[in-house]
Amino acid sequence: MREQKTWQTVLKRTAVIVAAVFAFFPIYWLISTSFKPFDEWANWPPIWLTDNPTLQNYRIVFFPDLAREFAAQQEGSLDYKVSGSAWNAFKGSAIVSVAATIISVAFGTLAAYSIVRFKTGGKNYPFQFLTVRMVPPIAVVVPMVVLFSILKLSDTYFGLILAYSAFTLPFSIWMIRSFIDDVPAELEGAAMIHGMGQFRAFLTVTLPLVKGGILSTALFIFILNWSEFLFALVLTAGNVVTVTLQVANYVSASSGKLYGVQAAMGTISTIPVIVFGYMIQRHIVRGLTFGAIKR
Amino acid sequence: MNRIPFNIRLVLPAQLTIMAIVVVPTVILLWLAHTDWQPTQNIPWFDAEFYWFWNFYDLWYDERFINSVFRTLFVVATCIAVELFLALGLALLFLDEWPWRKVAVSIIILPMMIIPVDAANAFFMLFNERGPINHLITVITGEVFEFSWLSHPTWAMVPIMLAEIWQWTPLMFLLVLTGLMNLPENQIRAAVGLGASPARIFFRVMLPLLVPVISIAVVIRAIETFKIFDPVYILTRGQPGGATETISMYMYNGAFVYFRMGYIAAAALLVLFVVVSVCLVLAKPLRKHG
Repeated sequence: MREQKTWQTVLKRTAVIVAAVFAFFPIYWLISTSFKPFDEWANWPPIWLTDNPTLQNYRIVFFPDLAREFAAQQEGSLDYKVSGSAWNAFKGSAIVSVAATIISVAFGTLAAYSIVRFKTGGKNYPFQFLTVRMVPPIAVVVPMVVLFSILKLSDTYFGLILAYSAFTLPFSIWMIRSFIDDVPAELEGAAMIHGMGQFRAFLTVTLPLVKGGILSTALFIFILNWSEFLFALVLTAGNVVTVTLQVANYVSASSGKLYGVQAAMGTISTIPVIVFGYMIQRHIVRGLTFGAIKR
Repeated sequence: MNRIPFNIRLVLPAQLTIMAIVVVPTVILLWLAHTDWQPTQNIPWFDAEFYWFWNFYDLWYDERFINSVFRTLFVVATCIAVELFLALGLALLFLDEWPWRKVAVSIIILPMMIIPVDAANAFFMLFNERGPINHLITVITGEVFEFSWLSHPTWAMVPIMLAEIWQWTPLMFLLVLTGLMNLPENQIRAAVGLGASPARIFFRVMLPLLVPVISIAVVIRAIETFKIFDPVYILTRGQPGGATETISMYMYNGAFVYFRMGYIAAAALLVLFVVVSVCLVLAKPLRKHG
């Protein structure tokens, strides 16, 4: 009996290890490719772990001039005609993601408070925000292109910020709503007996209690914004660049996809998202289910 | 401004943002869908020729569009079935406490933390003609296998769906695990006490109790998978010949490669209408919890 139990445990742990290997392998390949010199990117047989690790791919991403100098000293160099420098993309993503996150969370908190404490719009009102999330963005993108060209918002930071804010608002409202829901209204009532207005009672009593939840929501929304691709692709034309666009941009006319450079950019650009993701691991389920499933 | 009640003023910023970005474009869409607007003809959108309902008529007979619809439904069904199956199996491995449990969970959920475009790029390299997947097959079978997955009309869907499954099984896993951990323990203990076999406990006690969580997970994943765009764009762009186009990819190609804005607007309107109606029905499990 005992032996059977041990065998079961061994089997279970092996299954977990296999799953972990599957989960990690594509990421391993991304990172390992980012250190390969360009003649090893699409070698046959493929090189699983390079013997000649190089930082050249990272140099191409961040210091194109240094990369060109370095390439000049080597034989068989590669043309590095890539659009824009990655700094621009990081700047663009940072501006757009941070601004859109602040707007989305600020507006979302106000709306969530109103929905929880005043039952604004009745029971079905919050659901109309959800429909925004259900619609495939591509269906709204065609008229958005028209609207943006009328308002002169195409290819501007503000336009992208507006789009991101609107499309993450359902998440903010629903997530923050579930956090505010956890705080008993009586606490605010007690503060109001002491002469505070209702909104001030919310600001001084409830808000500090849900501060952690709001921060998690903000990080969650930031992740969504930072990873967004479709809006960035359609609503910009070179002036505004985001990291996701930059990753897709590393293609050269003569050599096709620049695997190593793409992998280097991909590795760096995904780090903030991974860090924030693990920081809010406890809340990610709540976020992606609109607060329906809590831990 | 002061005449507007306080609680309405609080929802106003959120509501107006959504109006500006979702509702106003939808109104424009209503017009565009009934025109034959093509920006390449240098006619402004409001001057485009009114086309009545011919766009919808054309869509009905547009094989590429119809195929993309069925392809998308197929992708949604397959991905979610596989994700759910894997997630249930994985979650069962994590029921008891063991030393490295937390670390293992962290590694397994890594895929969902990655930017989807980067994940798609990783799969592009994995399924390259000269990539590690073909290398593995070569090593296992002993014959050189240099199949180009991404340019085959049927097989190109495999890397696309695998990228999607790889990235989102972790979410399904987390949802199912959360559900399993929150199960009422006394019911399971009672079943054990009555001498039920583990399989019986799983199917007769745990699974029925998990139904609410699973239905939420499936609905949310279905809605998200239906929009699938990033992996398709990175891996194939719908090529060859539209054979891997999902609805989103079809509309992107139609609007921004062939510039048939009016026609694609009609497709968008149709999709918008169907999706919102279906979602309002599907959202029931969410509604119960909300």
